[in-house]
Parts: sequence; C-alpha cells; structure tokens
Amino acid sequence: MALLEIRHISKNFGGIKAIADFSLEAEAGQIHGIIGPNGAGKTTIFNTISGVYQADSGSVVLSGEDITRLPQYKITRLGIGRTFQNIRIFRGLTIEENVLCAFDPQSKYSVFGGLIPTPKRFKEEKRGRELARKYLEVVGMADKKDERPENLSYGNQRKVEIARALMCEPKVLLLDEPAAGLTPTEVMELTDLIKRISVEFGFAILLIEHRLDLVMSISDLIHVQNFGETIAVGTADEVQHNQAVIEAYLGAEQ
Amino acid sequence: MNLFLYVLTQVCITLVSVCGIYILTGLTGMFSLGSAAFMAIGAYVSGLLVLNTGMNMYLAFLLAIAFAVCVGYVIGFPVVRLRRDYISLVTLGFGESIAQLILLLSQYTGGAFGLIGIPRRVNVWIALIIAILVIILTALFKCSKYGRQCIAIKSDELAAKAMGINTSRVKMIAFLLSCAMTALAGCLSAFNIGYVGPTDFGWKKSADWVIMVFFGGVNSLTGSIFGGAFLTFLPQYMQALNKYRAVVYAVLVLFILNFKPKGVFGEWELTPKNMRRALMRFNRKQRKVKER
Repeated sequence: MALLEIRHISKNFGGIKAIADFSLEAEAGQIHGIIGPNGAGKTTIFNTISGVYQADSGSVVLSGEDITRLPQYKITRLGIGRTFQNIRIFRGLTIEENVLCAFDPQSKYSVFGGLIPTPKRFKEEKRGRELARKYLEVVGMADKKDERPENLSYGNQRKVEIARALMCEPKVLLLDEPAAGLTPTEVMELTDLIKRISVEFGFAILLIEHRLDLVMSISDLIHVQNFGETIAVGTADEVQHNQAVIEAYLGAEQ
Repeated sequence: MNLFLYVLTQVCITLVSVCGIYILTGLTGMFSLGSAAFMAIGAYVSGLLVLNTGMNMYLAFLLAIAFAVCVGYVIGFPVVRLRRDYISLVTLGFGESIAQLILLLSQYTGGAFGLIGIPRRVNVWIALIIAILVIILTALFKCSKYGRQCIAIKSDELAAKAMGINTSRVKMIAFLLSCAMTALAGCLSAFNIGYVGPTDFGWKKSADWVIMVFFGGVNSLTGSIFGGAFLTFLPQYMQALNKYRAVVYAVLVLFILNFKPKGVFGEWELTPKNMRRALMRFNRKQRKVKER
C-alpha cells in the first residue's frame, strides 16, 4: 500500500469542475510533479488533500488512514505539510517563531504552563527551538532566525515557509509553486533543496510548478491537469511527447 | 496626593481589563464590544457573594471569575467559529443583554439603584499588586506557545490551520483568559468603590478598552499598558478643561491613529534586550552631539 493514496477525488464549485476524478499514489521518497495551465485545478487538489475544502466524492488515504473528511489541523498533524502559492508567513513573529508555530500544536504543556513557566514548559520550548534550528539549518536560514519575515527577500521567505512545513514533521509535503517569483539562481538553490530534503527525510513530495525545467528535472512522475481533468501521467520524457499535453500547452493545430 | 492615589487605583483596575483585551484583540485579533459585561459579572457576582454570605473576599473573586469563565465558555462557542466582524456583533448583543438582565433581576441586583454597601477592601496597594501580577501573566502568555499561536491566527488563520493549529481551541483559550481578566477587574472595582451600578458596563466601556489597546500599539503589550494608563490618567487631570475634555481626548486619539496607525509603541516591547539596544542607540547619539 502506498503512503499517500488519492482515490478518484472530484470537487465542483457551482457549475465549475475544479477537479474531476483525480487519482494519485505516492510512495515515500518520490517526487510527483503536477503541472497544467492556469485554472487547471492544481491548487484545488492541494486544498482538498490538506482539508481546506472537502472533496465531493472520492477519498484521500494517508498510510492506511482515511483523512478525507478530517478538519484541516488534524490532517496536518497526521503528516501532511504544505506551503502556499502566495507566501503566507505569519507577520508579527520572527523567523524562528514562525517555524516554532508549526511545532507548538505538538508541544506538550497546558494552559497553566502558558501562564506560569513550569519546568515542562522550559523543556518543551527548548526542544522546539532545537528542532527549529535544525530545520532552519536545512534550508540555510539559521543565521536569520531573529529577523522579521517582511525584511527577507522573496526567495528567503520561501525557504522559511519550507522550514515551517518541515517542522510539522510531515510524511507528505505539498509544495505549491515554490519557484514562483524567484530569480534563476534562487530557482537552482530551491531545486537542490527539494532534492536534498526528499532524500534526507524520505517523505513523498507533491509539487505544483509552472517552471517546467524544474518539474521535469526532479519529478519521478508528472501529472498533467487541464480543466480539472488529468490528461496525462508519466515520466518527464513521456509527458513531453504526449499529444494531448502539447495541445493543452500550445493549442491544437487548426 | 489623594487624587493621585484614587486615579492610580483606577489605572490599575483598567490595566487588568486592558491585559484581557490585549490577549483578545492584540494577540488574537478578535474585537469584542461586550467585554464590559464580564466586568459586570465579576463585580456583581463577587459583590453579591460577599454581601449575602459574608465569605472571604478573595474566595468570592475566584468564584466570580470561575462563573464569568463558564458564561464565557457558552458565549465563546459561536464566537470562536465566527468571522472577525461578526464577533463584535455577537459580543455587543451579549453585553447589552447582560446589562438589561441586571436591571430586570432587580430583586437580587438592586436594579437601577445598583448594589450598595459592598465593603471597600481593595485599596491602591492591593490593586497595584494584582495589576502587576496580571501584567506578568500576560507577558508570560505572550511568549508561550499559546501566544505564538494566537499571533499566527491573527496574521493568517488559513495558514495557521495548515500548520496544525486547532484555531477554535486557541481562540477559546484567549477568549476565556480575557473573560477571566475583565471579571477580575470587575471584582476589584466593586470592592474599591463599594458600589456597582448597572449603567457602568455598556459597550462604550468595551470600546474604550479597545481604543486604549490601539492607542498604545495593538501588537505590543508595553504599548497597550501605556495606552491604558495614559488614557485613564489623562481625563482625570484635565478637569480644568471641563467640557472640552472629551474633545481633547478624541482629537488626541485620532491624531495618534492617523499618524502612527500601529500605535505609540508599534511592535516594540519592553524587554531587557530591547532596552539595551535603545540605550546603545541613545549613547551613540549623545556621543555624536558631543563630537560636534
């Protein structure tokens, strides 16, 4: 049985089919790319997996457990971490605190400890800060931990978002257009980072991306979406030569 | 000097509730126009308990706070699930209905006459100690995991959920803490003045607290406390201006919010680290002045 199994999910918004019968099976250590023109329903797939929306039909199964109808925070705690298309870092918190936020739901001290510093609170806070340091080092942002997120470059904000998603200790990581708005050098760094974390932590990565060179170079399997439907699944080579894909991207010959 | 001590007591009592509003509005981003109702609950419950049973004042405080938290739990159920703008409406309705309820239950509450003859056992020192304790608790709460989660929710609720934060639960905790603190302020007020009236706890009082928090800096506990203290002191010492007091107050608040929309302190907090930094900057400036 695969780590993440998405079985025939669909989602409609009014008369619009955002997702029609999407299926995917991801094993640990795999990178799946999801590509397609704008409005193809890629982000909706992520939102349905992570529980922002509920699927109209079909199911999402994470290591044997059906997570389709769970509330968003429970899905995250079961092991699905994500980043967002338009960066959503918490303003008003430092970089380190941003990353800590993803640890806090697992941190074990009560409201009493929230008001009065108990030994347990010290221990848990210390454990959290050590983990935050570890994940910030993975993305190469440990030296900027006390900075405010709004003072960082776009590329660095992305890295913080990834560190924050790692802090959720996910089994599956959803990356929604991580390269959007990055400079070519930053894209290269990001590509390396994604490859590295996929090997180091051994989780499955689903990746939505418009930069085809990035997707083609790191994905084990590519799913091409158009108007909510999957028009092709295959390796980079197969997809590039698929007639339906070429038509969706370049338009059919008249 | 007597006036000063009187005003200082008022400031301390206000600060206790301002801490509650800071947790609710400043940290979590929920606007309540009904917080004063919890102050009423605190004042009436503790007052009635002591008047009718003659129990220990502090025990009455604890019972009153517990009662307010129970009421807050019931009100909190819809509140934490609502969108921000609706929270103000629900709490506004709740606050006004509590005020009416106090008038209607006149056989217990004294109705429009209020509750008279409460022993005046809270002096300025008790109020000061309790205010300082509450401020310390609030500061500790802010830098705990709950404080961080509250700020995360205020900043981006969707992203907070996606990080595994149970937003309803964290908002409920913030709401109940805020209820407890405003109720405590009510207890202190009742036992300081010796009288509780039903008209003291309208939405205007809640709005005043929100203004104080915004005036000093909604993202800073230091700022909120400054706002609470300053805006309580100010009107008392502007007696000479008489009827123009309200105008001066309003103009001052408008000026601050217009030219410093983040409040006087913005996000700055009074921590040892920030103090050292500010001191270093000040020294550097002094040196430059001398060199010239």
